Amino acid sequence: MLTMRSLPDKQAAFFEVVAETITPEVADLDAVGRERMLEIVDTALMDRDPGTRKQLGTFLGLIRLAPVARYGRTFDRLDPDRREAVLRWFEGCPVGLLRKGLWGLKAMVFMGYYGRPECWPEIGYAPELDGRAGVRRA
Amino acid sequence: MRELAYDIVIVGSGAGGGTVAKELAPLAAAGKRIVVLEWGPKLAEAAYSGREVEMARQLYFDSGGVLTRDRTVTMAMGRAYGGSTVVYTGTSLIIPERVVERWDVPGVDFSDLEPRFAKYVAENNVHLLDEAELNDNNRLFRAGCEALGWRVRQFPINVEGCLGSSLCNLGCPNSAKQGTHRVQLPAAEAAGVEVVTNCRVTRVGEGWCEATVADPGFGLPSSWETGEVRITAKVVVVCGGAVNSAALLLRSGFGDRLPALGRYLTLHPALILVGEHPAPISNFHGHPKSFYSDEFLESDGFLLETCMYFPFTTAKNLIGFGREHSELMRAFERLQMILVLAVDPALPSNRVVLDGGGEPVVDYNLAPTVLDSLHRSMVASARVFFAAGARRVHAPAGVRFFIEREEADRVDELIPRSRVQPGKISVASAHLMGGCRMGRGPADSVTDGWGRVHGTSGLYVGDSGLFPQSSEVNPYLTVMALADRVAGHVRDNAGELLSR
Repeated sequence: MLTMRSLPDKQAAFFEVVAETITPEVADLDAVGRERMLEIVDTALMDRDPGTRKQLGTFLGLIRLAPVARYGRTFDRLDPDRREAVLRWFEGCPVGLLRKGLWGLKAMVFMGYYGRPECWPEIGYAPELDGRAGVRRA
Repeated sequence: MRELAYDIVIVGSGAGGGTVAKELAPLAAAGKRIVVLEWGPKLAEAAYSGREVEMARQLYFDSGGVLTRDRTVTMAMGRAYGGSTVVYTGTSLIIPERVVERWDVPGVDFSDLEPRFAKYVAENNVHLLDEAELNDNNRLFRAGCEALGWRVRQFPINVEGCLGSSLCNLGCPNSAKQGTHRVQLPAAEAAGVEVVTNCRVTRVGEGWCEATVADPGFGLPSSWETGEVRITAKVVVVCGGAVNSAALLLRSGFGDRLPALGRYLTLHPALILVGEHPAPISNFHGHPKSFYSDEFLESDGFLLETCMYFPFTTAKNLIGFGREHSELMRAFERLQMILVLAVDPALPSNRVVLDGGGEPVVDYNLAPTVLDSLHRSMVASARVFFAAGARRVHAPAGVRFFIEREEADRVDELIPRSRVQPGKISVASAHLMGGCRMGRGPADSVTDGWGRVHGTSGLYVGDSGLFPQSSEVNPYLTVMALADRVAGHVRDNAGELLSR
C-alpha cells in the first residue's frame, strides 16, 4: 500500500472511504489502481502549500465525525446510502466554507480516479494523437 | 546573488511577452542585449503526452487549479515557454470595436489595432477549418443554434497541420498550434533574443529586476544555472499575465503610488455544460472549438462556445457526485459540451493582492449581473443541446442532476435563478484581464496607452493586465495587438530609452 507523504495513514485510509462515495467505482479498484489513484492525489497535494494539506486533513476529520450527531456513528461505519446523505448535506450546506471544502475534496477524488489513463476505456475516452479518422468514425 | 546586464528584459513569454520579444528582435539583431525571463519550463516535443494530470502539472500554475480567495472560481493560468499560448485552443477573435471605444484609452482606438490584428492573423496562420475537419460536437452546436434561429459563427483558429488530437488545452502533441512558442519566440531567438526558462522574476524596478532560477523537476534545463540573479536593464517589459504582472509590481512597491494596481480584474467567468446524446458522437477527436454564438453577448452578457474537455476536468465541473455523476462520465463518447463565458464588469474590488509571503491572492466576487448571465447561459445551452438532439442535459444549477428530453420545454423552470449561487456551481476562468489597466492617469489606471507604467520611463506592461475592462471575447489576439503597440513604442524610442 502506498504511504502518502501528504496525509497521515489514517487520513489517507479515510480519504479512500470517502472516495468510494464520491466515485463508487473506486470500490472496484484493485490494489494497483488504488495505489495509482492515491499517488496522483499525493503528488497534487505535495505540490500545494502545507496549509492546503492541513485544511484537507481537517475537513476529512469533520466528515468522519459529522454523522455522529445524527446517526450515532462515524462516517466510515455508515452504510453507503447514509454516507451519500452526509455528503449531500455538505454539498448543499448553507455554510459556504463547508460546501467549498466538499468541492475541493471531490476535485481531489476525481483527479485521482479520472486522472488515471487506465480508467479511460471504462468511460469511453480514447484520445489519439492523430484524431482525423476519429472525426468521421462515430 | 549573480549580477547580469541587459538592455531590455521581458518578463514572461506568452501572447504578450512572446510578441514583444519578436517585435524587439531587430534591436537584438543590431546588437542590443535582450532577454526573456519565463517562469515556466520548455518541454521537449516528446513530453507532450496528452495525459491530463501530467500535462496540467507541467504547463499550468497549480495544475490549473488556482482558486480565488473565496474558492468560488478556478483560474487556469499557463506557465511555460510560450505561456498560456501553449495551452489555449488557438481561437482567434478580434475584439468588438464598441468594446475598444468603451475602454476610452487615449491612442488605443480600433483603427490603431486593426492592422495589428491583421498582422498576427497572418503571422500565426489564423484560418477557418474545412467542413470535413469539424467533429460532431461542433456540428451539433451549430445545428442546435441554427434550429433555434440563433447567430452562430465559426472560430478562426491558428493551427498549421492540425491532426485533430483535441488535446489543445494540454499542449498540442503535434506542434500544430501556432502560439508564441511556435512563431514569435523562435523568431526572436533566431535574431539573438535570449529566452531563459524556469526563471521567476520576483521584484522589478526602473532599470532592474531580480529573479530566481529553479529546477521544477521536468522540462528542458534552463540556460541559466539555478540561484538568484539581479539584472540591470534600461527597459523592463512586464508580461507575466494579469495576476502575476500585478503581483510583481505590487511586490515591488508600486502599489503605494498606483492605487489602481491589481484592481479592476476581470475573469470572463465560465461554465462547462454537458448534454448527452443517445448514440456516440465524435467529440474527443478533432479540434475542440469550432463554433460560437454571440447571439446574447450584447443583450445578456454571455458567449456560447463549443468545447471538449478531458475526464478529470469534466468530472470536476459537473455538479454532484455518486451514481448519477459516474453514469454521465461513463457516457463520455456521447457527450456534447458547451463553454459559456460571461462578461464581468471591471470593479475596483475585484483585484490581486499579496498574502503575507508576497504571493498573489485574487479577491473576486461574482457580481449579481454575472450570476444573471450565467443563469441565462445555462438555460440557453440546455436549449441548444435539446435542439441538437440530446436525450438529456446536465445543468449545474438544475433542480435535478439530469433534465430529460421530455422536459425540454420546461428548462426555465428546471434551472431556477435561485440556484445560481457562488460556491454552488463550478465556475472557471481562463481569460484573466486587468490589474494593470491602461488609462489617463495614476488615479485610476496603472499605465498609459503605450503600456508605460505611470511615473516611469523604462518600465512597461505588455499583457492582458492592460485591459481596462473585459474584452468580452477570447482575448489573445487583443493581447498580441496591445503588446505590439508596447513593443512599437519601445522600438520607436529606443534611441532615448537605451542610451541612458
